[in-house]
Amino acid sequence: MVTVRLKINGVAHEGRCEPRKLLVDFIREDLGLTGTHVGCEHGICGACTIMFNGEAARSCIMLAVQADGAELATVEGLMRDGKLHPLQEAFREHHGLQCGFCTPGMLMTALDLLRTNPSPSDREIREGISAVLCRCTGYQGIVNAVRAAAPILASSR
Amino acid sequence: MKPPKFEYHAPMTLDEAVAALGRYGGDAKVLAGGQSLMPLLNFRLARPAALVDLNRIASLAYIREQDGQVRFGAMTRQRTIEFSPVVAQRLPLLKEATRWVGHLPIRTRGTIGGSIAHADPSAEYPAVLAALEGEVVARGAKGDRVIRAADLFQTYLTTSLGSEEILTEVRLPAMPAGAGYALEEFARRHGDFAIVGIAAVVVREGQRCKLARLATAGAGPVPVRLRAAEQILEKDGLGEAAIDAAARKATELVEPDADIHASADYRRHLTGVLTKRALIRAIGVARG
Amino acid sequence: MGVDLPRLVGARVARREDPRLLTGQGSYVDDHCPPRMLYAAFLRSPHAHARIARIDASPALALPGVAAVLVGEDVARAAKPVRAESKTPSVKTTSFPPLALGRVRHVGEAVAMVAAESRYLAEDAVERIAVDYEPLPVVRNTAEALDPASPVLHEDAGTNQLVAREFARGDVDAALAGAALVVRERFRFHRHTPVCMENRGCLADYATGIGTLTLRSSAQCPGLVRDVLTDLLGMPEHQVRVVATDVGGGFGAKASLYPEEIATCVMARRLGRPVKWIGDRREDLLSTTHAWDEIVEAELGVNSDGTVVGLRAEVTADIGAYSIYPWTAAIEPVQAISFLPGPYRIPTYRGRARGVATNKAPLGPYRGVGRPPAVFVIEGLMDRAARRLGMDPTEFRLRNFIRDEDFPYKSPSGIVWDKSSFTGALVRAREAVDYKAAREEQARARAAGRWLGIGVASYVELTGIGSAIPVSPGMPVSTGTEAATIRFDPAGKVTAVFGVASHGQGLETTLAQIVADEVSVPIEDVRVLHGDTEVSPYGTGTYASRSLVLAGGAAILAGRAVREKMLLIAGHLLEADPADITLADGRFAVRGMPDRSVAVRQVARAAYSGARQLPKGLEPGLEATKFYDPYYGTASNATHMAVVEVDRATCEVKTLRYVVVEDCGRMVNPLIVDGQVHGGVAQGIGAALLEEIVYDEHGQLLSGTLMDYVVPSACEIPTMEVHHLETPSPVTLGGFRGMGEGGTIGAPAAIANAIADALAPLGIEVAELPVSPERLFRLIGQAEADRR
Repeated sequence: MVTVRLKINGVAHEGRCEPRKLLVDFIREDLGLTGTHVGCEHGICGACTIMFNGEAARSCIMLAVQADGAELATVEGLMRDGKLHPLQEAFREHHGLQCGFCTPGMLMTALDLLRTNPSPSDREIREGISAVLCRCTGYQGIVNAVRAAAPILASSR
Repeated sequence: MKPPKFEYHAPMTLDEAVAALGRYGGDAKVLAGGQSLMPLLNFRLARPAALVDLNRIASLAYIREQDGQVRFGAMTRQRTIEFSPVVAQRLPLLKEATRWVGHLPIRTRGTIGGSIAHADPSAEYPAVLAALEGEVVARGAKGDRVIRAADLFQTYLTTSLGSEEILTEVRLPAMPAGAGYALEEFARRHGDFAIVGIAAVVVREGQRCKLARLATAGAGPVPVRLRAAEQILEKDGLGEAAIDAAARKATELVEPDADIHASADYRRHLTGVLTKRALIRAIGVARG
Repeated sequence: MGVDLPRLVGARVARREDPRLLTGQGSYVDDHCPPRMLYAAFLRSPHAHARIARIDASPALALPGVAAVLVGEDVARAAKPVRAESKTPSVKTTSFPPLALGRVRHVGEAVAMVAAESRYLAEDAVERIAVDYEPLPVVRNTAEALDPASPVLHEDAGTNQLVAREFARGDVDAALAGAALVVRERFRFHRHTPVCMENRGCLADYATGIGTLTLRSSAQCPGLVRDVLTDLLGMPEHQVRVVATDVGGGFGAKASLYPEEIATCVMARRLGRPVKWIGDRREDLLSTTHAWDEIVEAELGVNSDGTVVGLRAEVTADIGAYSIYPWTAAIEPVQAISFLPGPYRIPTYRGRARGVATNKAPLGPYRGVGRPPAVFVIEGLMDRAARRLGMDPTEFRLRNFIRDEDFPYKSPSGIVWDKSSFTGALVRAREAVDYKAAREEQARARAAGRWLGIGVASYVELTGIGSAIPVSPGMPVSTGTEAATIRFDPAGKVTAVFGVASHGQGLETTLAQIVADEVSVPIEDVRVLHGDTEVSPYGTGTYASRSLVLAGGAAILAGRAVREKMLLIAGHLLEADPADITLADGRFAVRGMPDRSVAVRQVARAAYSGARQLPKGLEPGLEATKFYDPYYGTASNATHMAVVEVDRATCEVKTLRYVVVEDCGRMVNPLIVDGQVHGGVAQGIGAALLEEIVYDEHGQLLSGTLMDYVVPSACEIPTMEVHHLETPSPVTLGGFRGMGEGGTIGAPAAIANAIADALAPLGIEVAELPVSPERLFRLIGQAEADRR
């Protein structure tokens, strides 16, 4: 067993688990944050994407023990004072989700995209969100949402 | 799909890592970025007795210029490479190739050392290493050794690294100023492994070709240096006829495999198509 | 009584589901972890066809943390076998054991089940179960399955041909023999799978003291599952509760009863502890029902003026190892021949379908069921005929569409199409794509050596089906009814409860829009509950593009009933004749006297405040439950147009433009309609270009990861231009037509036709989907060789 001490959405946590425990399972089971989802467990679908020390990473192909000492952010941390994050607002306005299963991964991926490229073209948006597979939306609502949110996020920095 | 049990070590120094690896007689695996190894563990296709996790060894992540080379600590993240000004200036081919490696979240964790040591035949970094005639440094119990690209890749997912050696550094000769370059890749889907990819470097003098380098991804069990195609350009220049001839020659130099995505014939065909496209683009970028 | 105009039906209302889904507060089945819960894992067959000689689970049981291991015989003792009996004599039933009994019939079939303290441990235990298999010859495809020398997969069926059905009208043989032109083709639509982003999973909890079983499942049809479970498990219906949690996509993949659901219930009952099984992606690709796997040999006969005289087709479906419940193996092939005639006047027809069993995963419903391949076929034939006659493909279709004056039109399979906009949709699509300009651009591109193509596909689908027509012909369950309960509380808020089960299509929003309009409250005051048999009035679930029609219709009926009662109460409160009272903007008012009014909220309070607040003899309370059966069904139609370019060198197909003109009748929420079209088209493009389930010659699944089964990412899908016509259905309450499946029904054909159009100068036709670059490389290479 190993000890994992980390900060998630600004809150410190400590837990113990087997070294083989995947980070996504640690987040969901040990930390009780079920917003991050498991879609494939081989790093393709992106549903498990979280922020790891400020950068988007796939938590299904990381070990929980690798997060010892790290700062994580998950979808649960996006809201502020009970208000939706502008990106979440944009997803709602532009119908960027249907079943919602890929959505947490899509949000974290889009956030990372916009931090590294604050004014992406539509092509760049599509390339950025191609990291996450969605079966419901055909991506159109998501692209519209990210496009709408980009200037709002850029201006708030 | 959960990993099987393994012992786990997260050494803080390279020496500890080598020692830990050595304790298992070849039955331990190095964990770098994990973007390739973890899926294998989750599928239980890999069942090592132990994992030696290199992610705590801070001294393994660096980008340095030395002796006309750019030297990367093996644990340098692909994401770091993607945004590195040194890489942009000295190794623009590597920067371009990096944008083809998966997606940004994969590059957050994936490393240059891991990608090369894993030696997936469809991966971009091994092709770049081959095209630029780079080398790697491996450390084992007996110390360090340098392995040239040509001697590194043996077959699918197999390098000449020993099971108790750790790849510690990747060295790429800085590209000549004004060199043209391109990575042309064909994949089923954006971010997937290459069905076929071609890494090209061209140093030109007008229509003359001072230097051409071509290496493949996805066209066989290891990256293939298309030396005979390079020679056509170095001999006959950079005109359309020479490019076509080089592209045709490229198709003769590869022995691709078939899988559910593509037959050998189609891969061979793509080799020619992408060689031509890579050369045209590289020549267009080249100054001289 | 005057009722105000709809305020919400027709509006782009933001979804009620979104706040929880956006913030990670969804409640998918894996998010539930009741105390003492165990985790399950399945041992799955590595063989495509084998006898099970011996299973030794003792090494697994010896692992600490393992609570139990079940094998086929354990489950057979605790549950009746699953048999999807068909009313059609030529459809043979198979027994589908939840855990294999003596024999495995496809790679990935569940053989044993472990319950342990963690999924990690359960997988460790699964590896320790020792199974002796005696491999049997593998039946690899339908041709082998029909060979008398091949093994019969189900002895009690006596044959591998489990389905046979025919629809006919007139003498098609004579018509084709006398036709000026007959085009024929052997079409191949390869095997696909839905790939929901959430894998299947379920959580069973048997409350030993009370005797109730609760099954939480990522399922589309909780009502249906509850009904069959009570039968299989021998439990009283009111003791079994099935809850569809938040479900991460369904598309038909989660519409069937699955072995894992039964086995999980059996395990939970045996152990007296909650047991949760969450499938992983490997299991999903191996054992979630596959789709659309058909060979169609078809012929279209035409007059020299381009009018169709006859259509003849033989459909052979590879239905895999078992006939699934409740749809039966007939669902895919029989729907294919039912809908092959499409939106056209087809004077003579014969469609024959066979469903043949092989050693592959069972086939099941996937968005469009039968129609994606059928439309690929008929639209491909239409294009071939047009090309041979030198006619524009859109003109050819316009010449043959069922016209306004032909409605209601009885199709050769007996389906009656009510007033639809086949012609209108195609005309509008041509305008939207600027067809003339697109053809001119194509000519310029061709002259410059580029392979640009324009493809069209028009279709009609049967939606909102009532009890007269089974969703799957012959199926053992009735699917024609849904119900709605609308209940006001004393504060004037509304709970609306349904038996449907939303899994991404926004029914919590659209049904709330309908209810809010019916009872004149703001949408924030309506809460929609669904997918829980404990609270839902009787219903089956969400599938077959029926929920908005059936549940929406029931909501209208229940809303009316509640409104009528409110009217009586308002009359009492206002001391006026109910006939003189209007309802608008949440207020009941005496006509012409706006000051004499009372809010809906006040009427609701009065309903619960005792006899003095109520007209004499009127029962307190304010709720109604109504059932709706549209009896037949209605039609939804669209025309898709695609502009593609085929890269001459790499043979890759890029979709440059995609236009949809669709008619789903009266739209409730255009935002959601657009989303359904987008998602369906994306799956259709994936089906046409990227996705294929591949088995090797030993029956091993080669497409076993998401790298090998390639679903499109955002880079592979173009921006889609979606236009709407609204021809209200003349036969459904509300005028709604279901529309969730249209995207996948039209897109594969549109893409295929566009590619063929691009390659027409080479004489290449597209008869096989997916059109991978590899396949195109071969077609183009062959065509260029033929020309030399």
